[in-house]
Amino acid sequence: MYLYLYDHFLNDNSYYKLLSKIEMRLTDLGIGGKISRLSPLKNLKDLINDEIRFGVKTIVAVGNDETVSMVINNIVKYEDITFGVIPIGKQNFIARDLGINDTETACDVLSARKIEKIDLGRVNNTYFISGIDIAAENKITLECEDQYQISSETETCAIHICNLRPAFLEGAYEEKFFNPQDGMLEALVMPIAELSKKFFGFFKSNERISQSVFPFKKISVLTKKSVTVTTDGKKVLKPPIDIEVVPQKLRVVVGRQRPV
Amino acid sequence: MFKKDEQTQEVETIIGPSVHVEGDFTAAGNVIVEGTVSGNLKTENFLKVGNNAKITAHVTAGNASISGEIHGNITVKEKLELASTAKIFGDIKTKSIQVELGAIMNGKCAVGDDHALKQEDKSSKPIKIKEWKMAEESIKNRL
Repeated sequence: MYLYLYDHFLNDNSYYKLLSKIEMRLTDLGIGGKISRLSPLKNLKDLINDEIRFGVKTIVAVGNDETVSMVINNIVKYEDITFGVIPIGKQNFIARDLGINDTETACDVLSARKIEKIDLGRVNNTYFISGIDIAAENKITLECEDQYQISSETETCAIHICNLRPAFLEGAYEEKFFNPQDGMLEALVMPIAELSKKFFGFFKSNERISQSVFPFKKISVLTKKSVTVTTDGKKVLKPPIDIEVVPQKLRVVVGRQRPV
Repeated sequence: MFKKDEQTQEVETIIGPSVHVEGDFTAAGNVIVEGTVSGNLKTENFLKVGNNAKITAHVTAGNASISGEIHGNITVKEKLELASTAKIFGDIKTKSIQVELGAIMNGKCAVGDDHALKQEDKSSKPIKIKEWKMAEESIKNRL
């Protein structure tokens, strides 16, 4: 039994036609189910708990990366629930990394029901599927596996903790990195000069720029001043920050082709 | 959809030019060092040390290619390559070595497989005993 959770921004009239088209397609494919529209007044945790008690086995987030993050954090404690995505709107990098490129093919992907178990990351008590960004405001030290420390020679660097490939690195690394089934996360340490290249369009997708990549299972962020940490979507966390991988945590419906 | 364990999956660590690593660094797979490392560095696989890298650590690797500077002992299980810009200040132990013209080495160097190195050790013992016996006889003769 399927539960479709529509993010509240889909209440806008501009999405009416698209949602109708999706619902018809899902019915044609025989995977129609219950639709629930999220709102600030609805408690998502209680909603999901109730629906799972009524027999829901697959929960589909309909929306963007923020929607995905919100739903995942509420279903992660259930071992036998399968997660799916129908991407709508902007900021849909997670769906793309799961091989779901657009809204039209998302329904076919759900119907094909190719399920994989993927790793999740956990930062303090929040789960993430794609990665987290640590803003380059001041000097940061990473303590890795309780055995060694990583620090930057310069103060201006950005740190990305990745489970899936970050959007700005499309095509830049071979498949050995950013595999969400390898039981590891990657810490990407990027000098600010390289970030500027990205923003001003000088970045070549196949160029191996002077970044550092550290695969790890557990890492702590050490800093004297507070830093802004952004998880999937918009959640902001403050130190102390402990990050670890949770291997094979989430059952997810994926597409056949994952972008390199 | 994602790469499976059955296929060759090499984990790789890249330490970039602007990064410093300190402590006991044990990598799961290949390691590329372009920055600075201090402490201990260990990998069972391949280690590459770039031109501008500086390592102040004991290094252990399966295979290694060094172009930068290392202050510490190096133990390489199979093959060690030293480029012309390599500077090694410490002892080297490896199965085979290739050194380019211009490389700097300052320390002991033991090259060969473990069996050959152990044979060398065994053959030295009788000579030491023999020398001791000769020394003892010469003392007795003086007395």
